[in-house]
Amino acid sequence: MNEQVTLHNQMLDALLLDYTTGSLSRPLELLVETHIAMNPSSARALQLMLKLGGVLLEDIEPVSMSEGALDKVMRQIEQDNDNQINMPRVPNRTPKRPIDTLLPQKDCKKSWRRIGIGVSEHIIDFGDELGKASFYRIAPGRSVPSHHHEGAEITLVLEGGFTDEFGSYGPGDISIHEAGSEHQPVADNDGECLVFAVNEGNIRLTGPLGRVISMIIN
Amino acid sequence: MDITVSAFETKFELEMQKIMPDSNFGVVSRGQEALQLGMGTGDVNGFSTAEPDWNNLLVCVGRDRDKEAFARLFAHFAPRVKSFLLKIGTDINLAEEIAQEAMIMVWRRAETYNPHQSGASTWIFTIARNKRIDRLRRENRPVADVTDPAFAADAPELGDFVVMRKQEDEKIRHALKNLPEEQAKMIFSAYYEEKSHREIADESGIPLGTVKSRIRLALNRLRAHLDEIEGSANR
Repeated sequence: MNEQVTLHNQMLDALLLDYTTGSLSRPLELLVETHIAMNPSSARALQLMLKLGGVLLEDIEPVSMSEGALDKVMRQIEQDNDNQINMPRVPNRTPKRPIDTLLPQKDCKKSWRRIGIGVSEHIIDFGDELGKASFYRIAPGRSVPSHHHEGAEITLVLEGGFTDEFGSYGPGDISIHEAGSEHQPVADNDGECLVFAVNEGNIRLTGPLGRVISMIIN
Repeated sequence: MDITVSAFETKFELEMQKIMPDSNFGVVSRGQEALQLGMGTGDVNGFSTAEPDWNNLLVCVGRDRDKEAFARLFAHFAPRVKSFLLKIGTDINLAEEIAQEAMIMVWRRAETYNPHQSGASTWIFTIARNKRIDRLRRENRPVADVTDPAFAADAPELGDFVVMRKQEDEKIRHALKNLPEEQAKMIFSAYYEEKSHREIADESGIPLGTVKSRIRLALNRLRAHLDEIEGSANR
């Protein structure tokens, strides 16, 4: 197997494992949930990891609950019965792409900020120091200015596809770039490319155009 | 080997002893736990094969609203969920609360449980995981909920993705026990210390790339074991 693919698989497994154990930031968690909804192979990987969690839960040395814990829970449950709220009767479906709830209408001009020729961005404010999370739309054949990452960048393709120095990515694919790497994604020619990207640190735009944009942004 | 690594190794060894002692682990504590809660003692001498069928009990809760079945599930799983939460560093009161809340959620959602899709322990692990994330989110940043309307009220139904069969548990246990130590370490740090792969690398001094490759190797071994089952089932 080629080295790039191996590295990619390793990164993906590590990311999915972080998701399973609940150690991802909110934006990354949403990215991974969407990826899983779009990618059966990662959905299977998640199954395995949850299963592993189940086995480890089963094998753990139990710690006594506080006194009366069961009674307390039973009382709560009986109240449920009284109020007829015992459970969501309709199985609540995970949306096809969980991220869609945050995706603005494409024709809503003021939601999308142009950051280059044929490239626009919509930043999602997660309200804390979790890095930067954005949707990007890249016109067919256009490229995102070459940029350098101070933190890791994780990108999920939602529609269309792009190619960079490391590979080609289609709908549901994740591309992961560690801190310090540089790349220039180019959208496929056959349609607009929509991605959701999470940057765990500040991006510094490189290249002549990037430097100008960097100045405007900062 | 530097100091960080050896501290990590020692911790790991202790961890291994706790998790996988060769002796009949858990027998005593299971008995105590049942006595504490005034449960019958019929199942307490058993190993996993003689244990009650948790999957069936969970089905009973969902189908018949069976409170006795629920009490037995509670006696078994609540102390384990609590233990898990303590292990990953949750405050004891919060661990108790989340364990209780998770069990209430087990009751409420039991109707949606499908034993053909997942084992009870996987299902409950998933609920507890979601509950914990939910609680941490709520406590640390009450405002952030505004940004995720879809998920604040309704944690992702991971159960949907879980298509695993019951006998796989034993295979996974077996595979885990036979993992090379350096790979097993990654798995235990991730689950039992709730460390991200980056934290594992930072704290152990093992390069990030090595951590990732060990995680991948460990998971591939588990996958291989599960494929084996699938292969024999299809034959």
